[in-house]
Amino acid sequence: MKLPAKEKWLWLVPLIAVLLLWEFTAGYVIKNPLFLPRFSAVIFSIYVLREVLIPDILVSLLHFGIGLGLAFAVALPLAIGMGWSKSIFKAIDPIIEILRPIPPLAWIPIAMIWFHLTHYAAGFIIFIGAFFPILIDSYTGFRDVPKVLVETGKVLGCIGDKKQIKYVAFPYALPSVATGTRVGMGVGWMCVVAAEMFGVSDSGLGFRLFQKFYFLHQMDYVVAYMLVLGLVALCLDRLFRHFVEDKLFKWKKGIVK
Amino acid sequence: MNHKLELRNVTKTFNTEEGEMGALEGISIEVKPAEFLCIIGPSGCGKTTLLRMIAGLDHPSSGEIILDGKEVKGPSPDRGMVFQEFSLFPWRTVLKNVEFGLEIKGVGDKARGEIAEKYIELVGLQGFENHYPYELSGGMKQRVAIARALATEPSILLMDEPFGSVDAQTRNILQEELLEIWKRTKKTVLFVTHSVDEAVYLADRVAVMSARPGCLVKCLDINIPRPRKRTSLEVNEFRGKLLMLLSLERSKACISV
Repeated sequence: MKLPAKEKWLWLVPLIAVLLLWEFTAGYVIKNPLFLPRFSAVIFSIYVLREVLIPDILVSLLHFGIGLGLAFAVALPLAIGMGWSKSIFKAIDPIIEILRPIPPLAWIPIAMIWFHLTHYAAGFIIFIGAFFPILIDSYTGFRDVPKVLVETGKVLGCIGDKKQIKYVAFPYALPSVATGTRVGMGVGWMCVVAAEMFGVSDSGLGFRLFQKFYFLHQMDYVVAYMLVLGLVALCLDRLFRHFVEDKLFKWKKGIVK
Repeated sequence: MNHKLELRNVTKTFNTEEGEMGALEGISIEVKPAEFLCIIGPSGCGKTTLLRMIAGLDHPSSGEIILDGKEVKGPSPDRGMVFQEFSLFPWRTVLKNVEFGLEIKGVGDKARGEIAEKYIELVGLQGFENHYPYELSGGMKQRVAIARALATEPSILLMDEPFGSVDAQTRNILQEELLEIWKRTKKTVLFVTHSVDEAVYLADRVAVMSARPGCLVKCLDINIPRPRKRTSLEVNEFRGKLLMLLSLERSKACISV
């Protein structure tokens, strides 16, 4: 999609306005960096913190990767089963519906007991957060495969569950799997701070933000890390869209865009 | 073997909430090799069910369906089917759609491409190989579906109101093209329609069915040389005959078995 140059840069104007407003309000109205640090102070903090920032991002990404990878690996086969077979759905769905509303943060004590203070404990919390969106969206995709496509497959010799899933259901459901994964990534990333709050590791964005900066009330550092948390998630989402959605789903254009 | 396809006393009942419901009753018919047979009847007479049973997607409650001397037990690529709804795999290009049956069969890449190309040319879609279904018009979609059904070289082509969802102009063109394809491939064609015009234009023989429970009322040979003119006297006379038969059927219940 090509936008005229004017529209392409339109987003910059409100962004700059908000940043200026922030800078001005913090500096001349509130005048209390504990309450609201100035934008310029926050940017400077990012520069000051550059030495710890990269390792922290990497450790958080490690936790995120463990959780998301595991969530995907468990949710996908389950989604195929639940979407393809009514009886599997009926058998498993009640369990899912009981577990799903439990907030990921409520699992923290269990994670501590099961995995102690390890990366896996943090990964587990992120797993809980990412798992359900991936499962629900994916199984919807497998469930909604049009009957006529399955029958077309059958008539062309695509007989048996295994072949039908491979050649018909899977390609059909793939966009839903991608949507679920994207939503799951978002929820999973939100769990990163909470997962690292309890000192599962001695670095990580959430750990540093909560255990170090907030503890000493270094609010400019806190806000700097908040911004980094947001920017990393934005990058992850953009990368996913660029490499997965835009590349894989050219055929969906007629339906969604 | 002088019959390509033989139906012996085929009956189908569906179990519904109100109990058993007869859909088809005692259908017996023989189809000669390379014959173009149209099945016509009021909606709900079970003509689609009949075709689906020949395809192997449904099973008769009693009676036998014999194709090339063998009883039909389930779906198989030796019966090509074109559905009424658009049934292309949306994630596959035209070429990949046509190749589908061959891919399942395990035909190698190169041979597959050559065979598919031949059928794409047959339906006049060369140049569209790399288009996705969303980029095609309704008529083109059904052409691809025909090419795909033919690519596995089935011994019979089953068509379930394939031109039901395209506009009248395109429909006429598709009918002409289908006759051309039929002449060139010498396939046996079973074509379900509710359009008298379509049946008279296409068929060697028309099987007229009555309303539920559907049974075969009459088979009429159409001895009008091709190419037929849609507005000629003979065509109109035959159309009149068919219309009368159909309206008669609509007003009386099925007696013959």
